[in-house]
Amino acid sequence: MRRTAAVWAGKATGALSRISRLGGGTTLPGDVARAIDPDVLRKLSRDLKHGAIVVTGTNGKTTTARLISWLLEGAGHSVISNRAGANLIFGATAAALEHAGVNGRLQADWGVFEIDEASLERAVDEIQPRAAIVLNLFRDQLDRYGELETIAKRIEAALSRLPDESRTVLNADDPRVAEIGLNLERKPLWFGLDDPTVAASELPHAADARTCPRCGASLIFDAVYVGHDGVYRCPNGDFARPAPALTSTHIELNGFDSLAMGVSGVRIELPLGGLYNCYNALAAFAAGTSLALDPAYIADRLRSFRAAFGRQERLEADGRRLILVLSKNPAGFNETLRTAVDLAGGRYFLIGLNDRRADGTDVSWIWDVDFERLRGRAQVVVPGGNRARDLAVRLKYAGVEAAPPESDPARALGALIEATPRGETAHLLCTYTAMLDLRAELVRRGWAKPYWKT
Amino acid sequence: MARHKKTFTVGWLYPDLMNIYGDRGNILTLLKRAEWRGYDARLIELGRGTTRRMDEVDVFFFGGGQDREQALVYEDLLETKQPPLERAVASGAGVLAVCGGYQLLGHYYQTGDGDRFPGIGLIDVRTEAGKRRFIGDVVVDAALVDIKPATLVGFENHSGRTYLGPKAKPLGRVRMGFGNNGEDHTEGCLQGGILGTYLHGSLLPKNPHLADHLIRTALRRRGITDLAPLDDTAELAAHETILARLR
Repeated sequence: MRRTAAVWAGKATGALSRISRLGGGTTLPGDVARAIDPDVLRKLSRDLKHGAIVVTGTNGKTTTARLISWLLEGAGHSVISNRAGANLIFGATAAALEHAGVNGRLQADWGVFEIDEASLERAVDEIQPRAAIVLNLFRDQLDRYGELETIAKRIEAALSRLPDESRTVLNADDPRVAEIGLNLERKPLWFGLDDPTVAASELPHAADARTCPRCGASLIFDAVYVGHDGVYRCPNGDFARPAPALTSTHIELNGFDSLAMGVSGVRIELPLGGLYNCYNALAAFAAGTSLALDPAYIADRLRSFRAAFGRQERLEADGRRLILVLSKNPAGFNETLRTAVDLAGGRYFLIGLNDRRADGTDVSWIWDVDFERLRGRAQVVVPGGNRARDLAVRLKYAGVEAAPPESDPARALGALIEATPRGETAHLLCTYTAMLDLRAELVRRGWAKPYWKT
Repeated sequence: MARHKKTFTVGWLYPDLMNIYGDRGNILTLLKRAEWRGYDARLIELGRGTTRRMDEVDVFFFGGGQDREQALVYEDLLETKQPPLERAVASGAGVLAVCGGYQLLGHYYQTGDGDRFPGIGLIDVRTEAGKRRFIGDVVVDAALVDIKPATLVGFENHSGRTYLGPKAKPLGRVRMGFGNNGEDHTEGCLQGGILGTYLHGSLLPKNPHLADHLIRTALRRRGITDLAPLDDTAELAAHETILARLR
């Protein structure tokens, strides 16, 4: 009965917060329901007909979870998921509440949840997922998460408590994720990229996980794909990338528009760009096959996928094409810059940096991002967000000529539109709340839909 | 031609392991500001196992690392870097040490369980683990006479409590934030040519006057006492963003 009360209270909160325009009602209902019944998520998760899948890691959670939902839905399953990047335990609870019936019961086949790295232990305990996917571990919001090592240990503790019949799906290319997987009792399903034509030979600035966990020697990288993810080995033979069971080969990257790759003899095409999305697609493929979906079906279904809010979202704005890309830490930002500049040939940019809680209150990480890539290539760069002035200094020391910093989202957007000729494409690379601010302005101007409707 | 050009050399201690808080910003700022004044600015990366050309360095930078990396660095620091680093400092080279680097240059770091990890004792400071982490923006009234404005701004994120001995002078007093230990209102330390601090953010990009102080002090041993002024409008605007949070 307590559960029914919790579900009702949560659902009412969600409706109210949407009506009162407080936002999408993506986490508050979870807070309310959990206050009434702390076990509400545990109980609702048991109602899922086939079970749940959780996705964690620094970058790519939202896209990968959405890809997996897309695969399951296409196969005729009903799926609940926390879609709007609300990835703390409250967000997962809110998602379950939204789909619970008036009897307090959840009627769905699957739950697919993206879970914040720091919340995984609780999520595993409450949700008891059938599969857990770990994408990567990069430095991110040190003021909030603490050191990478702490997060890695918590993830390992969570995975070691998974039910016996559950599967772990791990990125073999990430040394810190591999270390976690090698410590687990049961063998994970490893995935990784295998295409030297898209690899770099050197690690980027401020790569983490560059030493051998056993002897401390600096790892040798034979290929670098994204951040410190690649093909690595310890010079003393103490540690190496585990051999992946699933690999991506023959990778083709077409700006932010699309990618193609071969996985287990099947050609995958996805209307998302960037090498980092090869990892997301491969993780979704791995999850799909571990749930016995047919590889040919997966390939067919992925062709018609659509991106989530702020993840490579495309809009039309007064004759200009806008591409919005969430970019929130050095590893992710370097990849979106590489895709926007090198692959998509982008020349018009708005970069939004906020330092609110959800962005991380410490902005020093912008010095680990290779903004030098924009030098001589970008026609216009508008520094935006409430730390626009810090960005302006970063760009100055990168040798990039930028427009004056503009903290006001409306004026920053105005400056970008004015500087971008009609028919051209502009890229908006933003931290989380800077993206929300800009999107609100885009909605106000009628160029975008509110995010809870996407 | 090249041999007539004045050089300015930055030595980055453990760039691959001690670079957790955007430390590249400090390196870039030192290099660019020397370059913009006509110096041939050079960077020497001092990873584990090497002491090559440490005697050429004008300013050393020693950043923060994660615990795991810090333990790896510690051994090398003691075995290979300490003697040449001491010689360089004695001959007038400068050192900027942030967070973990600051702690490692002191006498010791004592964990919550009472275990002591000795530092190299180049500066008269000791650090003890605290329970609560100090995280947030910091504004400091600096004790340096040759910098204008007299404030320093940055971001701190540390659980260590650092206490200064008589030979180390505070870099300044905190007006906002916690500083060395959250008790005595001091932040950082100055001793000889060594400047230790908990401020990152990165520190030097939005404190260009401090970057110039380090460059000027290191060049003094070559008889250079004056640096040409630069347009610091952008840098000081970023500085002002944090100062504005005081009000």
